[in-house]
Amino acid sequence: MLVAIGDKLRGYRQQIYEKVGLNDMQLVGLLIVIVAIILAAAAMIWEVLRSDQSKAGQKPATDSKVYTDAASRDVEHIFNDEFREELRNRGRLHFEKIIGENAMFLQQDLRLTTSELNDYMKQEITKTLKDEFAKYEQSIADAKQLAVESLAKTQVAIEEQRQLLGKQMEQQIIAERNRIIERFEQNMAEIINHYVLTAIGNQIDLSDQLEYILSDLEANKQAILEDINNGA
Amino acid sequence: MVPDEKPQFQLPLGVVTVIDVSRLQRELQEIDEFMMQTALRESGRQPALPRSSHSLEEIAASNGLNLLQPADRKVLAQHLERLHSRAPTIHMSFAADPPATFLKRLITWLRHEIHPELLLQIGLQPSLAAGCVVRTSSKYFDFSLREHFEKQRQSLVDKLRELPVENNGG
Repeated sequence: MLVAIGDKLRGYRQQIYEKVGLNDMQLVGLLIVIVAIILAAAAMIWEVLRSDQSKAGQKPATDSKVYTDAASRDVEHIFNDEFREELRNRGRLHFEKIIGENAMFLQQDLRLTTSELNDYMKQEITKTLKDEFAKYEQSIADAKQLAVESLAKTQVAIEEQRQLLGKQMEQQIIAERNRIIERFEQNMAEIINHYVLTAIGNQIDLSDQLEYILSDLEANKQAILEDINNGA
Repeated sequence: MVPDEKPQFQLPLGVVTVIDVSRLQRELQEIDEFMMQTALRESGRQPALPRSSHSLEEIAASNGLNLLQPADRKVLAQHLERLHSRAPTIHMSFAADPPATFLKRLITWLRHEIHPELLLQIGLQPSLAAGCVVRTSSKYFDFSLREHFEKQRQSLVDKLRELPVENNGG
């Protein structure tokens, strides 16, 4: 039975080691309880064995031996098998009681250990989760910061590009406008002449233009004369 | 300007263009042929005298020539041939066909100011709108309204730029 209890305790200890790791105080307490149980059991066994040995080792040599024998017989009479059986039963019951109490203490310790273990696990898990969440939040914050910076850079680039395109567009518009104006100005005489011809061309009398033509001829008379004289 | 050497041959104002001179040459040739035929025919069977134009009669009268005289006809023919081949010619283009009165005043001025035997070649350019284009043997004078607009282009541009700009875009 002690062996079974020892195995069971070792099993518990192994489980505790596996689950908890090193918990010296609880381990020492547990060892003290186990040693106490073992010492109590050993004392009872030793007491029983000593009484048996003293009964077997008596030799009827002297008077005292007679008395001793008588006493032994009385002892045998008093401590007969029934009485011994009663003592064994009492010892067994006491031992069982002690074992039960220790088992109860062990159970309480185990419950306390389990509770502390649960608390410890909760704390560890909570701490780990907090750390992980903190890292996760930090990562999210970093990613958010990167995204914000990237968006800001993109916005700045877009704004610069927009301004550049705006300037280019404005320059092109100005150039196109100037080109149109220049073209209009270059061809203005032709345009107005065409307009006049279309608008009042039928109403222009050549006779009314004679003075104008003669004034032009007068203005260029010298050139015409020179050309004609040279040609002649 | 009047040339220093006054030509002996008087060219009437009715003769304006080279075509007129050619027509006079043809008429004079017809008269010559008539006279030749008259000399060959018998009396009393004379054909009718070709009808001469007012220009021919005018040029003959202004130069004191009798077209019934062969010598005068010969002189006139020589003058006409000289005019046709050597007279100074100016090409003038107008937007419309110029009337006779217009041409008469124009040729009067030209013969008085440029040369007394000057002839014209009349062209037609409707795109001129108004004014004319004068082309001599080696020069070109544009007196058209288009050229006038071209010369005044800067003034037109300045006037346009002085106009208030309307903001149609709102």
